Amino acid sequence: MTAVADRVVVLDGSSVPDKEVVGNKGRSIAWMLSLGLPVPPALCLPIEECRRFHANGGELDADTWSAVLAGVAGLEERSGRTFGGGERPLLVSVRSGAAVSMPGMMDTVLNLGITEEVEASLARLSGDAAFARQTHCRFVHQFGETVLKAHLDEPAADATPATVRAAVRADTGEEVPTDPHEQLRAVIKTVFGSWSSRRAKAYRKHWGIAEDGGTAVVIQAMAFGNLGEDSGTGVLFSRNPLSGDPEPYGEWLPHGQGEDVVSGTHDPLPLSNLADSMPAAHERLLAAAKLLEREHGDVQDIEFTVERGDLYLLQTRAAKRSPQAAVRAAVDLAEEGAIDRAEALRRVTPEQLATVLAPRVSAAAAAAAEVVARGVAACPGVAGGVAVDDSDAACAADGDVVLTRPTTSPEDVSGMIAARAVVTERGGSTSHAAVVTRALGRPSVVGVGEGVTATLLGAELTVDGSAGVVYRGILATEAVDPASVPGLEKLIEWAREASPVEVVADAGEGSIDPEAVGTSDDVSTPEGARAAIAAGVTSVPKLPGQHEAALLLRFAQEKSNLEHEEESS
Amino acid sequence: MSSATDTELLALHGLAVKKAGTPAAVAAVIGAEEGEVEAALEAAVAAGRAAGAKGTFMVAPAGREWLDAQYPEAFAGFRADPAATETYERFEKINRELLALFTDWQMIPAAGGERVPNDHSDADYDTGVIDRLGAQHERAERALDSFAALEPRLGLYKERLDEAYDKALAGEVEWVSGARIDSYHTVWFELHEDLLRMLGREREEAP
Repeated sequence: MTAVADRVVVLDGSSVPDKEVVGNKGRSIAWMLSLGLPVPPALCLPIEECRRFHANGGELDADTWSAVLAGVAGLEERSGRTFGGGERPLLVSVRSGAAVSMPGMMDTVLNLGITEEVEASLARLSGDAAFARQTHCRFVHQFGETVLKAHLDEPAADATPATVRAAVRADTGEEVPTDPHEQLRAVIKTVFGSWSSRRAKAYRKHWGIAEDGGTAVVIQAMAFGNLGEDSGTGVLFSRNPLSGDPEPYGEWLPHGQGEDVVSGTHDPLPLSNLADSMPAAHERLLAAAKLLEREHGDVQDIEFTVERGDLYLLQTRAAKRSPQAAVRAAVDLAEEGAIDRAEALRRVTPEQLATVLAPRVSAAAAAAAEVVARGVAACPGVAGGVAVDDSDAACAADGDVVLTRPTTSPEDVSGMIAARAVVTERGGSTSHAAVVTRALGRPSVVGVGEGVTATLLGAELTVDGSAGVVYRGILATEAVDPASVPGLEKLIEWAREASPVEVVADAGEGSIDPEAVGTSDDVSTPEGARAAIAAGVTSVPKLPGQHEAALLLRFAQEKSNLEHEEESS
Repeated sequence: MSSATDTELLALHGLAVKKAGTPAAVAAVIGAEEGEVEAALEAAVAAGRAAGAKGTFMVAPAGREWLDAQYPEAFAGFRADPAATETYERFEKINRELLALFTDWQMIPAAGGERVPNDHSDADYDTGVIDRLGAQHERAERALDSFAALEPRLGLYKERLDEAYDKALAGEVEWVSGARIDSYHTVWFELHEDLLRMLGREREEAP
């Protein structure tokens, strides 16, 4: 029999294998473990096994399967649980992990190893039969969709594993296996098989990625946030992702399982609740966040679970943040010495900077104005004009117009392009109007209620697509004072210092005529900015109605990119 | 379906789906010869059902009324066919998921239930959404095959969706939901509009 080590890599942090061997996810787990962070035990079928699988005609080699079974036995030992049964059952997640992520790969199946018996054990351990049944349903649903390619509705509240199984059977004619080992084998085969899915192949062809690579498979023990009062799940940001405030910010759901926080089906509590109930786990979490932020040099978004008082980190990645937070975090990280100024300037996009500096409705004007409609803020920004209720009228109008419609259809796109802003009566954040106005960058408020269009026709309106409010009249907007946004003054100063091109109020002497330097590109685009730098332009005129900072940042970034390219060539 | 040969009806229908367009653009929607479509649209202009300038046509108000009056008979077979309504139910389900996907593509979920505009700097996030688009695209292809079995013209949308999807897959981000080009979202909405008109249904907006 082949030794486990030949076919399977145990991820225990004793070494950090290359991502060309164990894929990006496998490497990340090994790396976190090597830092001494608490991560549920895991093993990995390396990328080599994917090649073997395909060379073997799409079948798992017998030696590989034996090694997987031995590896799972190792997970049982490390976690003190039994896969697919027993008093303390072990459930695992299975994920794909190539060296680079690509579409078409089977992504994740959670809760493998669940059976009727395991569901009963989970119900007993958690004291929550509904949770155990839901976990079982989620597994059957996910297996059906990802492995058997069923197209299913989300399981209803009263769904049982039997009803979800029946739905999978009705859609595909196939069965979700009840045997834990069969579940595992099928999911591993699906991951390896997905390397040659139509989508993955098309993606590799487009991007020139070699066909003879492959994906690794990561098998990891699941942590349970549902085993009693000293368990739960949550998300921690190493800094506040809305304000950029350098305090950790998080959500905590006692007695909750992983997906509950992300799915938004439960209302989580602030992190202070975890600090009160389990100070040790809280302290360890904050220390881990600090360490991960320092190692990555960026704000982290960390998913975690506490199981009977023990903290487990499930995933960490660079946090999504608001434009304000991007500015503040970049400046703070540079001031703390975690990154240099050039890197800080790369952390904020010119678009984010323009958003932070975009003129807004003045508070005084808003307070005095009549609010004529409220709805879903679908596309941020402020714009005004005369209300028209028809696309043709919007296209024909001379001045600025706001298109107000009961709802929009493809017929209205030309009117939406012509209008400065859009208001609809029906529909939410995924409606046609919302999707199209975001694509066009037109401020919009949707779902303001039936009949509003008729009452507003012909009136002058101001649409605040950031707040979801429509005002009567054309409201004054005011520029943002850089001193009012933490970090903003510094970032603008750094961008000014780093930019090789000045942005001047008037196109005077020494400023460019884009045609003359052989580029008619818009200098606010990366390509245009590059062309201007390459042509030795020293100053450009300010864009009308815009703060010069976004343009300075663009030039600073492109100069730095050009230098990087010269170094590497 | 007898009216499938009625080029004027189909040309005006194609024009209504697109709102305004050249004979070539309408021909691509209904799968007819450009010259034939042009002649049909000129006839529609003469009948007061369309307006045209510089080779671009629009449906006139009278043309809308005329279309609405023709639809029940023109698409009687399609409307009465249980296979069409069944496939439409599948289409609606894909539609709901696609709309959520377009929103995820444009606005990334952030902390506190807020969303921030997608600046396409996170390749993993974009890859995840493109992957979901691929899954829906494969479902859409199956639904379109079913529609095309009843009304071959509808199969044309498959090629147009394919083209947009291929470009999105190749990293041309505007082909997912760009409003000024035949992006996936643009073609999908034309298809939706086409089906709504054929079936005589109203668009339902997600709450």
